[in-house]
Amino acid sequence: MDERNITYMFYGLAVAWGLLALYAVLLGLRERDLTKQLDTLKRMIEEKK
Amino acid sequence: MTMLRHAAAIAAKDLRSEFRTKESINSTLSFSVVILLLFSFAFDPSPDMIAEFGGGLLWMVFAFAGALIVNRSFARELPNDCIDVLVASPASGASLFLGKAVACFVLLFGIECICLPVFGIFYNITWWRSLWALLGVLALGTWALACVGTFFSALTVNLRLRELMLPMLLYPMLIPALLSVMMLTNTLLTGQALPPDFSVWLRLLVGFNIMFTTLSVYLAETILVR
Amino acid sequence: MRTKVILGLGAVALPLLLRNLYVIMFLVPDEMEQGPIYRIFYYHLPAFLVAACGYLTALVASVMYLVKKDQKYDAIAVAATETALAFAAVNLVTGMIWGRIIWGIWWAWDPRLTWALISWLVYFGYLMLRSAIDDPTERAKNSAVLSIFGSASVAVTWKAIEWWRTQHPGPVLSIRTGGVQKIDPMMENMIYVNFLALLLLGVIFMLVRLRQEEVQREIDGLRRYAHAAN
Repeated sequence: MDERNITYMFYGLAVAWGLLALYAVLLGLRERDLTKQLDTLKRMIEEKK
Repeated sequence: MTMLRHAAAIAAKDLRSEFRTKESINSTLSFSVVILLLFSFAFDPSPDMIAEFGGGLLWMVFAFAGALIVNRSFARELPNDCIDVLVASPASGASLFLGKAVACFVLLFGIECICLPVFGIFYNITWWRSLWALLGVLALGTWALACVGTFFSALTVNLRLRELMLPMLLYPMLIPALLSVMMLTNTLLTGQALPPDFSVWLRLLVGFNIMFTTLSVYLAETILVR
Repeated sequence: MRTKVILGLGAVALPLLLRNLYVIMFLVPDEMEQGPIYRIFYYHLPAFLVAACGYLTALVASVMYLVKKDQKYDAIAVAATETALAFAAVNLVTGMIWGRIIWGIWWAWDPRLTWALISWLVYFGYLMLRSAIDDPTERAKNSAVLSIFGSASVAVTWKAIEWWRTQHPGPVLSIRTGGVQKIDPMMENMIYVNFLALLLLGVIFMLVRLRQEEVQREIDGLRRYAHAAN
């Protein structure tokens, strides 16, 4: 049972949380991008009317 | 019955047009030989090593060659919108697919039969000791490659990155078939005694073929008809 | 409505995840042979189970799409696949870190590892195919077919590499070992609890992704409308 055992445990937990957080961030970024696109389009259509 | 007749007509058409231009046969054949040559530089194999991974090496070459062949299968019909005419013809999607798959199979199998002696010369092995069993296994593996490959060729025919996308989708899905055909070819190529798990790999290969042939024939109509 | 469901699930999932992290780090006993590193397992196995649920959902949704031709199922399929890939990545990477300590190597060509990697590649190919097709109907149809093919291949691969060499530990959950208690009941319960937490998180991801798919379709519709109005 060396030092690395516990260090790597922390790495493992960090990676598990980190990857899921990363995916959540990616989802958030896409959400923002989509909302922006939708707003722009709606405004464009509004102006044309 | 009509379906098989239509499929035969499509296969004959494909083969005839291929033998007239010989564009994919020539390029694929020279490509395979070049790859075989490159591998011999990369590994510099001794006879024992060849006994260990000869089948894998050979099938790497065939898998590359197969991707080239099946890529042309539906792409060939793109100019002049031939593909729309084929879909609109009385032949069903399933028979269209089946015909194309058979044509690919014949081309690829022919190329394999030429590559085999070349491989034997380059790597100095006597590959004909169990010739018929070897040919049978090659045929099974080739059908797996041709069938799934042709189906994916239909799936990706309209994409911009077709040449890139096809192998990327095809190879991971072929892994069970490639794995078992590599194991089998390895044994038969060097005439070793059959290992006890031989029949397991054979059954896996046959099962893979049955399953994917059924799936692709069943789903071909969905893919082809827009 | 959808937003409220997502927020509500989040309100349950986040405290549960944090509580589980606390329990996993401080309360569960150390495993006798492996030491602290085994705690990774509380994420490793549940993440795999969530990913498997995602793959299955994607398969069902793809079949449903081909039967019903409703874009809704296509959206479910892509949302499930993407979420499953995220969790499968957790499964793969935590497994590699565990392997580095216990086996001394990052990667072994063990059946289950190989299988996990192959299925990741297959479903990643699914996402690549989607991004390459512009027409929504064409995209939904082709990717549904690819998803079915992928699932079939992944299932065969599972069997194929079972006959290969093995190094991965066998099943430990008592539902898989036929009632034999292989690990401490507290540990086993913790696995289920963390599975529940991760599954909730997965469902949240999926719902968010699903809504994005719908917004995307609305955007596409408005674009067409705007162009037509010109």
